[in-house]
This record gives sequence, structure tokens and C-alpha cells, in this order.
Amino acid sequence: MKSLSGWFAKGRLSQQIDLLHELVSRDMKILYKRSMMGIAWTLINPLLQLAVFAFIFQIVLPVNIPRYSSFVFSGLLVWNWFQSSLFQATGVITNNRPLIRQPGFPVSILPVVTVMTGLIHFCLALPILIIFIAIDGIAITPALMYLPVLLLLQFVLTVSLTYPLAAVNVSFRDTQHILGVLLQLLFYLTPLFYDISHVPDRLQSVYYLNPMVILVESYRQIMIHGMPPNWSVLGILSLVSLAILPIGHRIFKRQSNRFVEEL
Amino acid sequence: MRYAVKVEGLGKRFRRFHGDRPLTFQEAVVAGLRRMTPVEEFWALRDVSFTVFPGEMLGILGQNGAGKSTLLQLVGGVGRADEGKVKVNGQIGALLDLGAGFHSDLTGRENVFVSGVVAGLTRREVARRFDEILAFAELESFIDNPLRTYSSGMQMRLAFSTAIHTDPQVLLVDEFLSVGDIAFQAKCLERITRLKKEGCAIILISHSAEQIEQLCDRAMWLKAGQIFAYGEPEVVAGQYVAEMRSETRKRTPVRPPQMTRSGVELRVNDNRFGSLEVEILDVRLTPATEIKSGGALRIDIEYLAERPIAAPIFGVSISHKDGLVCLDTTTATMSIPLSSIQGHGQISLQIDRLDLNTGDYFADVGVYEQDWKYAYDYHWHTYPFAVKSSIQTQGSLCPPHRWEVSKVTSDLISKHY
Repeated sequence: MKSLSGWFAKGRLSQQIDLLHELVSRDMKILYKRSMMGIAWTLINPLLQLAVFAFIFQIVLPVNIPRYSSFVFSGLLVWNWFQSSLFQATGVITNNRPLIRQPGFPVSILPVVTVMTGLIHFCLALPILIIFIAIDGIAITPALMYLPVLLLLQFVLTVSLTYPLAAVNVSFRDTQHILGVLLQLLFYLTPLFYDISHVPDRLQSVYYLNPMVILVESYRQIMIHGMPPNWSVLGILSLVSLAILPIGHRIFKRQSNRFVEEL
Repeated sequence: MRYAVKVEGLGKRFRRFHGDRPLTFQEAVVAGLRRMTPVEEFWALRDVSFTVFPGEMLGILGQNGAGKSTLLQLVGGVGRADEGKVKVNGQIGALLDLGAGFHSDLTGRENVFVSGVVAGLTRREVARRFDEILAFAELESFIDNPLRTYSSGMQMRLAFSTAIHTDPQVLLVDEFLSVGDIAFQAKCLERITRLKKEGCAIILISHSAEQIEQLCDRAMWLKAGQIFAYGEPEVVAGQYVAEMRSETRKRTPVRPPQMTRSGVELRVNDNRFGSLEVEILDVRLTPATEIKSGGALRIDIEYLAERPIAAPIFGVSISHKDGLVCLDTTTATMSIPLSSIQGHGQISLQIDRLDLNTGDYFADVGVYEQDWKYAYDYHWHTYPFAVKSSIQTQGSLCPPHRWEVSKVTSDLISKHY
């Protein structure tokens, strides 16, 4: 934690913000330039997913969830941010050797850059979600102002998980593949296209051990149901994230040092 | 004056792992976790201490693998030292891995911004210096093209120009003169000299002793991770050149100490030098340790040549332990023609009389390439022996001698006058 607070204490906060800005915009630019449709992909992907789920769960195996488009799309956006950040951040040490070898470069910023890039994609897709909400006839309520709190919480949680993952990837380069498989499983175990009320009661408490369940439910609470989230559950989740953060960060620093030393 | 860089007792240990250390979970499960532990540890740097003040330039010489780059990395805060401390005052700039952080899909301009900010500037600071960076790199008309359209020389120029315009107080430079063409190199050099005048502390790695001598205020010679020489650049660079010139050292392979048949330890680069294409396996002196002055000495040299070696030269030199060479003889100077040798063999030198004075001596034995280009094997100060003389005299020789005193006749004296 010492070095984490170190980068703010140096009185170069504005430089750190610029660094974050440059690295995030670098990632975005590379994405734009590499694919013909550029940023459109970040919208097309969840829309296609939505179309498939709508087809299956409205027509093939109908489930009784009102305002299904808003319901699924909100879940997908939240999940995609989490999944893509975690997946990409796992490679941040092994893919950024030149940056890590740069004297004075704050290595700890790398996962933050990845999660930030994901957040920007999330925000770019947000208007579409708002459109779905409007189509589904859901009133926008003041509860929506809690959105930044949820975004911040998800941000911190994701960053705190990426630190140890990126560190493990230094020793075991197939971490990313294994993570892909695990995330795929977790995708089905998170109530994205079904409702948590469909889960048997005695399993629900187990479900809530998955932090993404808490987050997805909270987003829907404020956006679809127009109600404030369950603060006590979010409070526990914040504490857990903040507890993991310094431990993960320490392992991350040690492994990134080890990584640059390896020839 | 406040130092810019202070390094105290720096040590860095590297771990060597099994060649087939598992790199994935899959392999780890298959192999078991036992191969995860390092098989060997070695010090890449040890006991390195120095101080660099603002406006000073320290040059670091050393062969590949001597620990130069590791040292520069640790000073730059990359990696972690196992021993000792590095203290740096001020912002560090680095001319290391130039252009490695560039992205080929981004334009030159975008890359300058990213690397400037990565090097520690704010966006505004990069913007303010942008024209200067561009002018220095001489790339004005290309700057908005993607980097992949640049030649490698252009990329280097842009990288160098960006790195040098970050106003560092401490600059770390690794072999910078490989950048671009001669004209650009001169410009880089001038720019570095100017930074130094403005008070920037510079640590420069170079293979060129000449460059270090010209540019630096102080020089350090790193050898196997330790400071071998430190001080005036002329002196250190001179020593470095003297050693590097000797072809023999370059060709001396790394090899663990080994014993001759008679049980003398040979340590490469300590008492043994040479390419070891021909190996001297054993050297026997008869009599073994002590010779009477004027006595005979026989030196038997056993050798092994794995592959055929054309016309090697064998040599023996006998020197006093103070360094005075008393005898130096070779098969070449004695016109002993040796044709090609291969396999085991023996060659002997018979000295009928060794008229040396009392003292401790060494027989240095070597076998050399036919044109004296380098040594195949040379054992230096490995075979000691003592000479005992019954007569007490000064000087290095003690041949049989006597004084004869005769009467001077008075006629001779008178004739003379």
C-alpha cells in the first residue's frame, strides 16, 4: 500500500492523471484503428448477445421477466465491463514489458488503465441502455444518481481482482485461458438472463457470494426498479474489495519486479 | 553539494531455474511443483557503491553480462535490489530500450505524447516541447503518419528526441551512439553534453573506452557484477583497453577450476588463460620444489589437443616472484619445428644449469598459436620453486664464480706513467 499511496504523495497527481489519460486514449485509439468498425464493436457485441437471449428466453423457452430487454441489457453491460477488464488486465505485466522497464513508470497504473478503458466502453453503451429503458416504459427516477457509486465500487472491485491475476500470469502464462473458462462458467451463474428469484431459496445465499450478483442486482435496482440499492450488502462488498486491494497490489509489484529481471 | 545518485553496497541476486521450468498451470500440474524452485543463484551485482553529483558523468565499462544493464535498471528503480540502497534526487530520464514503447499503429505525434507522459511529463509539458522534439528529430513532415511507415532510423530519432526532451535531472544512457546516422549521433552527443552542463547527472554505459575517456568525469569497470576499477576515466579506460586488446582473454572460456595431475589447481582467468584448444594437463618440475643454484632443472609438459593444431609454440619462462623475468625460451626461438599435434603428448625442457640466486621463482608455462596471435593455454605463476645458493650475493644471477687477486707490479705502474 505504501507505493500505492506513494504515487499520489509525490505531488505529481496531475501527471498521474495525464498518464492515465494518455494510456487509456492510446488503448482506445489502437482499438479504433485496428478494426474497421472501431468502437461500434463495443455496442454490437452486447446487442447481438441481447438478440440471442431475447430469442431464446422470450420465444424458445419463455421466462416470465417483465421488460426483458432492459433487464438483460443492463446485466450484459455490467458483466462485459467486468469480464473484459479482468481478462485483459491479466496480461498487463506480460504484455507491457517496455513500459515496466521505463524508469519511474508507476506499474500499478496498468490495471487501472484497463478497467478505465472498460468503463469508457460501458459509458458509451449507456445511452443505448437508456433507450431500452425508455422503450420499456420505465420511468427514470432520482435513484439513478446512485449510478456513480456503483460504478466506483465495481471499478475498485475489478482493479483489486486484476492485481493478483496479472501477478499469477507472470508465473503461469495460461492464467488467461483458465480465467476465460472460469468467467464463462460465472457468466451462467450470474443472473444475467434469468432472475435471481428463479434460484431456489436455499441456494440464493450461496449466489450472493458472487460479488457480480450483488452488483448486477444493485444496478437493476436503481435503473429498472427506481429504488436505492441495498447499502449494507454494498458496504460489505466495499470492505472486501478494499481488503483485497493492498494484498493484491503487493503481489503485483513483486511479480512485476521479478518479470523485468527475467531475461 | 547534494548528490544526484547515491548507490551503496548494491547487490542483486539472480536465480536460474530448470530449463524446463513449467510456464503454465498445465505443465506445472504435469511436472509437479518441484521444478519451481531455482536450481542456482548467482550475484549479478555485488558490493557496488558510487556517487554521482549533478553535472557529472559516470561511464560504465564492462563486457556483456558484467551487470551494467542490471545496474542501470536498479538505479532507474526497475526491479528490486537484494542488498544495498539506491538513492536518486530528481527526475530520471532514460535512453534505454529506445522506441520499445512505441506503437506502430499510432502516429508519430501520438507516440511522442504517450512516451513523453510515460517518461514523467504532463501532457501540457509535452505539448510545450513538441515543436522542439520534432525539430530535433527532423521529422516534421512525417509526424502525423502512422509509426509503421517510419524507417527504424526515423523511429530511433523520434524516440531519442522525446527521451532527451524530458528535462531529466538524472539521465541513464545505454549505448546511445548506435542511434541513427553519424550526423544525428553528433547532435545527440552535443545535446547530452549540454544537459550535463545544465547540471544533469549522467550515467553512461558504453563498450567504447574511448568514448568514456572523452565524455566522462569518472569511470567504472564492472566485471562479473563487481567493481573491478573505479576512478579517472583515462586510467580505467586504459586498463580496460589493455585487457580487452589481449585476444587471449576474449578467447578464454569459462570453466570451473580444475586440477593438474600433480594436484595443482587451475583457475580460468586467474592463473590460467587461453582458448584451451590445446590444454596443458600437467607440468612437472624435477627436482620438484628446491634446486641448488647451478643445478639442472627439467620441466615436463603434458598436453592434450582435442583437434589437430598446426605448429603450436611451447614456451617456458622463469621469473622471480618480484616479477623479473630471468629466462624466456620457446620452441620457436630455439627453432624447434613442431608439426601438427593432436591427442595426448609430452614436451620437455631440459635446463642444464640454472645459475639463479637464492629466491622464490615461478615457471610459467604456455602453448601458443603459431603466429603468436593468442595463447591456447597459459599457466601463470602456478608452478613455484625455490633456488638455494651456497654463496651469499646480491642480484639475480649466481653463476659459479671466483675472485682472483694478483700482484700489481711496480714496472707496470711506472710504464703507464
